[in-house]
Amino acid sequence: MSGFLPLALDALNYTSVLLLVSIGLVIVFGMMQVINLAHGEFFLVGAYAVLVLQGLGVPFWLTLPLAFAAGGLLGLVCDAAILRFIYHRPADTILATWGLSLAIRQAIVIIFGPSSQQVVAPLTEPVNVFGISYSSYRLAIIAIAIAVAAVVFAVLYKTAFGLAARAAMANRPMAQCLGINTRRLDRVTFSLGAALAGFSGAVMAPLMSVDPQMGMGFVLPAFLSILVGGVGSPAGAIWGSVVIGGSTTAAASIWTPVIAQIIVFSLSIAIIRFLPAGLSGLRRK
Amino acid sequence: MSYRLLLTLAIWLVLGLMPLALGSWELAMFGQLLVYGIAAASLAFIWGEVGLVCFGQALFFGTGAYVMALTSKGMIPGIPDSAWLGLVLGIIGGALAAAILGGLLFFGVGLRSAYFGIVTIAAAVIGERLATNWRYIGGFNGLLDVPPLPLPGGTDSADPLMGYLLVLSFAFLSWLLLLALQRAPFGTVLRGIRCDERRMLSLGFSVPVYKLVALAVSGGVAGLAGALFAIQFSFVSPAVIGLALSTEILIWAAVGGKAVLMAAFIGALGVKWVEGALSESIGAYWLLVIGLAFVAVIVIFPHGLLGRLLDTGLPKRLRRP
Amino acid sequence: MLEIEGLISGYGKGASVLKGIDLKAAKGDRLAIMGRNGMGKTLLAKTIMGLVRPSAGKVKFDGIDITGQHAHSVSNMGMAYVPQGREIFGDFTVLENLRMGVIGKPGLTLDLDRIYGWFPILKERERQRAGTMSGGQMQQLAIGRALIGRPKLLLLDEPSEGIQPSIVHEIAEKLRMICAEEGLTVIVIEQNFDMVEILAERVAFIENGKITGEVPVVQLAADPDLITRHMGL
Repeated sequence: MSGFLPLALDALNYTSVLLLVSIGLVIVFGMMQVINLAHGEFFLVGAYAVLVLQGLGVPFWLTLPLAFAAGGLLGLVCDAAILRFIYHRPADTILATWGLSLAIRQAIVIIFGPSSQQVVAPLTEPVNVFGISYSSYRLAIIAIAIAVAAVVFAVLYKTAFGLAARAAMANRPMAQCLGINTRRLDRVTFSLGAALAGFSGAVMAPLMSVDPQMGMGFVLPAFLSILVGGVGSPAGAIWGSVVIGGSTTAAASIWTPVIAQIIVFSLSIAIIRFLPAGLSGLRRK
Repeated sequence: MSYRLLLTLAIWLVLGLMPLALGSWELAMFGQLLVYGIAAASLAFIWGEVGLVCFGQALFFGTGAYVMALTSKGMIPGIPDSAWLGLVLGIIGGALAAAILGGLLFFGVGLRSAYFGIVTIAAAVIGERLATNWRYIGGFNGLLDVPPLPLPGGTDSADPLMGYLLVLSFAFLSWLLLLALQRAPFGTVLRGIRCDERRMLSLGFSVPVYKLVALAVSGGVAGLAGALFAIQFSFVSPAVIGLALSTEILIWAAVGGKAVLMAAFIGALGVKWVEGALSESIGAYWLLVIGLAFVAVIVIFPHGLLGRLLDTGLPKRLRRP
Repeated sequence: MLEIEGLISGYGKGASVLKGIDLKAAKGDRLAIMGRNGMGKTLLAKTIMGLVRPSAGKVKFDGIDITGQHAHSVSNMGMAYVPQGREIFGDFTVLENLRMGVIGKPGLTLDLDRIYGWFPILKERERQRAGTMSGGQMQQLAIGRALIGRPKLLLLDEPSEGIQPSIVHEIAEKLRMICAEEGLTVIVIEQNFDMVEILAERVAFIENGKITGEVPVVQLAADPDLITRHMGL
């Protein structure tokens, strides 16, 4: 029991951040039919934003909203400079995000160097939960990530913006015919997805070594989790993150990370093999 | 004969005459570029014909390279240490890796094509990590001292001229094979699948089998390129199987022309040549530049820089009157 | 209200399906467009709405040239579209579908009572998932969603499709009443003469991408052979 609880908390910690990253991928896919391959680099930018801001003496908790803003701003710039010319060619848009990811990652290498750096966690004292000692920062992340995800879902399901966005995902031409400017929605959702990735990078920065490859490493499971969860609705991100986050943490505690990765990958392939619409497609049957 | 076909043939002629113009060191360097060209053409085949964007082409390339190295070093139990056998097994290995991936993804309920990209990314990352952690195949350091391919007349592929001619012949043969497949009824079915998969299914074509075979052919040619790479450099390392090389292959094909074999081939030669020329002066900026250039090509030239110029098109019987 | 001149349009590159359409509808007109399948009726609607960009010709709406404008701008200028197949959002509730009619239009409030007055069934089903309703109810929702945005012109594409005849009659009567009440201009693409007879005043026939003639509805009702002749059957 004493071994299980920390593991469960680790899984929850990982899953909750994975969820933030996955929501961004799902809403961008829903809107533009594009899997944003630069998502990992927005995550990266968030982590480096914390590094820079901490260096300037900005308190950690303040760097989180700033990382969110940095990711969002970069997303806006990418849309304005590139994606708006090719949004009607989804296959090319995927490639363009791939090129963007390469360029952003290399820009980070040029500015900060290829080696890994450390970000100082704001909470270092472990706390006692249910009789075990556990990192208070990780607990804080769980709370923050779940709160942010809840806000995002509230925006998507309770506001006029969310209604318009979901309508555009379900039937883009019809949404246009009802007066919705879908191009503007594209831009806002792409930017929101990037902001969430940036925010996730910032909260994960103290737990990972901050280096130019960390983005891809973190976002790859998120890619799998949106496949597993299904891209049909934003809620699919929850299912996917739970499955991928949970299985990764469990497998990594038993085997080496490489074997764990292979197991989780195979599991994902098996799930999408039999459920092409992902786990969220199950409910609709 | 159209001027595009003439241009394509002229390119082969120029490549064949290169040994007259280049010294032995330059020739060896140029031979390496041809290997990348084969890899790019293998990607262009699956990309152009079936519309599948494979982000894991290096997986097939790397499988070919590792199989070649392991066989010729006599490290696969029960298989004699022959370099020629290694080449054959390298091709089969690449094709098999592709067939397994295709078998997982194309059959049953099938996969949305947008998913294909990220599944191949994940496969490439895992392939590289697996190679890095697998002690027997050399782990992080890879395998050194891969022997050259013995050639008739007592020479071998380590000789610059013979090595160049060997790679050039394989490049030409690969091009002929892929072009023949494009122009055969097989290619017509593939293009039908690219346009409307469901309609082809309802016309009675087994779409998954066609896609699988096409991917396996592409994987086999990529495996050949990998095997040739192993002989040329006489070593393999996890880098030949990973995402970075996959990305490079994708960029070569896209910059040259994703749907035209020759354009992708030249794209690889061109990009690699520019990289070689610039890498000393701009160093780390190269990846930034090529990333942005790639985006620019995607936005401005969706057919690639050479796609229209080298598109030999279809045989007359398949064209609209 | 709507003037179309020499409109040429097609799906994809090359072949055009509409080969020079000329049409006019004044304010308050109720015009039906009839023609056989494959004559480009739906394409005409999509081109007017801005979903398909014409290769030549002009569309003027309320005196303003809207050729090549995006669908959302056209919608915001007061054109409402009830497309073929209704295209309601099946996963949304009825209420959410109605809200979709106004959220893209600045300054409009959600005047549900007006819509529920016309289509009481929508009030009853307010919280239900729209995809679970019958064809006739979905059609009423699609019309309600169009009307709640206070349009000047209502563009309907095959509103009778897949609906049983008694309901078609009912919907047609209701539409006529609403249009008269609101002074709406109506353009209805339809194959069902029941709907056309009740709703429209005149009929334009489309064949091979061109308008081949215009006939007042009363004349068609008196002489059904005219329809067969005009539709080239």
